[in-house]
Amino acid sequence: MRERALRWLFRGAVGLSFAFLALPLVLVVATAFDASGSVVFPPEQLSLAWFLQFPGEPLWVRSVANSLVVATGTMGVSTAVGTAAALAVRRLGGRRRTAVVGLAVLPLLVPGVVIGITMLTFFSRFGLQQSYLALVIAHSLWATPLTFSVMQATFSRFDWRLHEAARDLGAGPTRAFATVVVPNVRAGLVVAALVAFVVSLQEFVIALFLTGPDTRTVPVQAWNSLRQGLDPLVSVVSTILIVAVTLLIVVAGVLVGLDRLAADT
Amino acid sequence: MSTRDGWIRAPTLPARWRSALLLVPLLVLDVGVFLVPMGYLLRLSFTAQTPDGAFVEGSWATDGYQYVFETGLVHDVFGFTLGFGVLVTALSVAIGTAYAYAAWQATGWTKTVLLSGAVLSLFTTMVVKLFAVVLVFSPRGVVNDLLTGLGVVAEPLLLIDNLTGAVLAQLYIVVPYAILSVYAVLSTLDRGLVEAALDLGATRQRAAREVVLPHARPGIAVAGVVSFTWSVGAYAGPLLLGSGSEQTTGVLISRLLLTRFDWPAAAALSVVTIVVVFAVLLAALWRLGGDGGLLDA
Repeated sequence: MRERALRWLFRGAVGLSFAFLALPLVLVVATAFDASGSVVFPPEQLSLAWFLQFPGEPLWVRSVANSLVVATGTMGVSTAVGTAAALAVRRLGGRRRTAVVGLAVLPLLVPGVVIGITMLTFFSRFGLQQSYLALVIAHSLWATPLTFSVMQATFSRFDWRLHEAARDLGAGPTRAFATVVVPNVRAGLVVAALVAFVVSLQEFVIALFLTGPDTRTVPVQAWNSLRQGLDPLVSVVSTILIVAVTLLIVVAGVLVGLDRLAADT
Repeated sequence: MSTRDGWIRAPTLPARWRSALLLVPLLVLDVGVFLVPMGYLLRLSFTAQTPDGAFVEGSWATDGYQYVFETGLVHDVFGFTLGFGVLVTALSVAIGTAYAYAAWQATGWTKTVLLSGAVLSLFTTMVVKLFAVVLVFSPRGVVNDLLTGLGVVAEPLLLIDNLTGAVLAQLYIVVPYAILSVYAVLSTLDRGLVEAALDLGATRQRAAREVVLPHARPGIAVAGVVSFTWSVGAYAGPLLLGSGSEQTTGVLISRLLLTRFDWPAAAALSVVTIVVVFAVLLAALWRLGGDGGLLDA
């Protein structure tokens, strides 16, 4: 009897956590469809007015473009770096492996504000503080541990005897890698790239310090307008972001399974 | 792994050079744009202050550290930040572990829904989450509407612009990480072990306590590390959903840098923050028995 009560209590607590975790996002989406623009829930009258107004706002459009540029750059850099490192670490053992993993993870253990102001002071020496390059590099620092971990998990599931067989049959290292390994780990590669893209898309604190009026990303633009009060355009852009991220997660989930996505990253 | 490679062909020097070469990009990234800038920050923290803005190029001084160690405000901010970090970490680890355990136990749709909730929240930008927290918890928000509507409370509760708001905001940022780091470890646990415990007469709670929890320990440690680091470095949450008295070191650092143009003090405070974070993490690791699995997760 007591055990059953406890189990229901546990379920209730988890259900409540889930509600608090997920429902606010639904709420944000709902407010984007309200006609009044007063950002209330539930919406009084449904309308697409704010979505239609969005493309006419140069600041917001610019921020979407900036986010896409930075996220694409981050995706390229950190997928390449993470994949290379995962391949290298495969042959390392013990201490050296721990050292490499530790170095890759280190940036994640430093508070974002500190990374932000460090990058700001460092890059401003070279006049790069508001450039795309600075932000791509800074985001790669955070995305690479994740691509690295996804690729490590992917490579550990690959049967490397296939690669050996290709080499024994006379394929050079590059050819064996491109024709035997890559097709087999394609799903993992896509997931690593998606994760890197999303990490950059959603990163905020570093971007706040490293962007200027011309390079502002969506989260920074949303923050600036939130600081001035509730703005229905923030609901609209939040909805766009939530839908985009949901689609990317569905793609990644279909490719490798949600279970692995949750466990590997 | 070594038997596989080694049995067919002994490792040759070129192969070792190849793997060294593959590490170069990571080293360039982490040393070149992380460790070097961190070194620069350290150097900056030892420059002299100047009223003309920024810092005195090439000077050596301890102005920044004097400010950090001798200002009452900084002590208050530090004390608050550490307490805030501990509170958020405790809540986050508890919620994360329970949620991950439920997701691990669940099957079919329940599992998909629970995991998607966590993954979606993880990948939603914190600005959107903070905006959502405002909508949900403000005096005219959904929670207060519900509570006053049901007659649970007469007056709307003040849940934002105070400590509660700052803690709630920070939880939204760290809990998804906590859930997934515990889940990652749990997903490697053999269900057969739990069934065996149940068959041998253990209650569910006892099986959870004596079989599942010990296995999940490395994941719980990671959840704690992530929650603590991120809460001590909290910036946006306390700024948007706290009041003026919920000032963290992160908020103070940015203010010193951007509005007071006191770069040596900002750099010194950053260095001290990093040192404190790492000291606490090392102490926790040491207490947990030097968990080597932490870095592998």
